[in-house]
Amino acid sequence: MNGLRTEARVAMAIARKDAVAELRGRHATVSTLFFAAVVLLLFGFALGPDARRLAEAAPGLLWLAIVFAGILAVNRLHLLETDDAALEQLALYPVARRAIYAGKALGGFAVMLVLGVVVLGAVGILFAVDIASAWLPLLSTVILGAMGIAAVGTFYAGVTVRMRAREVMLPLLVLPVLAPLLLGAVRATAAALAGDPFGELGAWLQLLVAFDLIMLMAGAATYGFLLED
Amino acid sequence: MTDAGFVIAAYGVILGGLALYTVTLWRRLRAAASRDDEGR
Amino acid sequence: MKTRILGFVALAAVVSAAIVGLFVVPPDLNQGDAQRIMYPHVASAWLAYLSFGVTAVGGVLWLWRRDLRFDAVALSGAEIGVMFTAFAIWGGMMWGRPVWGVFWQWEDPRLTTTALLLALYVGYLLLRRLTEDPERRATRAAIVGLVAAIDIPIVHFSVEWWRGLHQTATIASPERALDPAAPMVFVGTLMGTLAAFSLAWLYLMIRRYELARAELAREEEARRGRLRAVQAAAANLRSQEEAAR
Repeated sequence: MNGLRTEARVAMAIARKDAVAELRGRHATVSTLFFAAVVLLLFGFALGPDARRLAEAAPGLLWLAIVFAGILAVNRLHLLETDDAALEQLALYPVARRAIYAGKALGGFAVMLVLGVVVLGAVGILFAVDIASAWLPLLSTVILGAMGIAAVGTFYAGVTVRMRAREVMLPLLVLPVLAPLLLGAVRATAAALAGDPFGELGAWLQLLVAFDLIMLMAGAATYGFLLED
Repeated sequence: MTDAGFVIAAYGVILGGLALYTVTLWRRLRAAASRDDEGR
Repeated sequence: MKTRILGFVALAAVVSAAIVGLFVVPPDLNQGDAQRIMYPHVASAWLAYLSFGVTAVGGVLWLWRRDLRFDAVALSGAEIGVMFTAFAIWGGMMWGRPVWGVFWQWEDPRLTTTALLLALYVGYLLLRRLTEDPERRATRAAIVGLVAAIDIPIVHFSVEWWRGLHQTATIASPERALDPAAPMVFVGTLMGTLAAFSLAWLYLMIRRYELARAELAREEEARRGRLRAVQAAAANLRSQEEAAR
């Protein structure tokens, strides 16, 4: 029990460190937010100007924008650690590796959550979708989706962070893994926006919960090997 | 295209691909072995 | 030598399986000649899954025992698995066009899962190419291979739900060939093709493993060569210094 509390404290400290670095002007969130906004704008040009078609495609566009921007954000968060060999020093601390993973994932989750909420609002405005009436299921979907992207992204960023061509390799590896998350999140969003006429919302949220838990466990179990190499 | 055309396309690519991979593998193996000899 | 015999047996088996599948077995009542594609298609898909299972197990064994031979097994599985995945997708598309009327059926969980499999493991192979150090490469690859293997059932589930919750029309399923009610000739041909392809798989796995070992030995040799060159240069420098003094 005591050990678990220490690990939680370590994780929180690492997440806080990332948050502070972010607030003090690393601007990973700001630049990825702008990226997401540009992606949404381009989707509008690609599919518009028919408002009904845009509203129909809105759940898919929302999640594609979140996933693409999320990969950039997670990559940025890990790049912090390559400066001055910070990751190597982090690995030297006598704490459980999974605590380090949890901390990095938590920091990623915070960034992803901000990103998800803002992009959701932007989709509501740009594509004329009524998000206010279904805010609770939409928010749950965004939270679960953000968690999954942070869990997978953190862990794959750990794989690629010291690799050549990591800007290409990270999305190449992460995107196919995120396919079930994308599917579940898009279906849950669509169901929530339509008022859940078929009662499928719960099933999709369950899928997201299962995905998040499995990926978090896989990440926690294997992240230590990445720190060692 | 008729059904037969699709069957031929499927079998052709799969069997041809297997053969091609096998031959390439032999060549890679031979290349690796000959470079080993040079090393010694 | 034994491997060579295995190679000949596998070649004969694959050729005879193809002849039986193409010319001997009667066409299916509903699907006609297109059904013939099912034999190599199902066999390829099965071997693709087997290969990726081998990759995941090889990766875990590397992480556990730190023996690069396990990594060589994992690499062999991934490369050969990618090849069989491509065959399975190609066969599925060639079957889908005459039977479904389209090359690609988004609602078929197998097809979509297989396409993602290809993406996952091509990524795996690229990742290996971009990492020089053999042990780092093995570790990164092992983890990516493991997560990919975990992801496969989730993908399959989600696509199945996608279809199920949308209540689309029932479509002819590739599983028909495995239906126990199917006539024995079809089942027998499928099993025979499966066995023949499995023999070929085993042969290729052994040869690919040998290649991975040879390449690893060469990398090691090159590393030692560089080390010797550096040592020689250092010794040279030292003797020059002494001569100058």
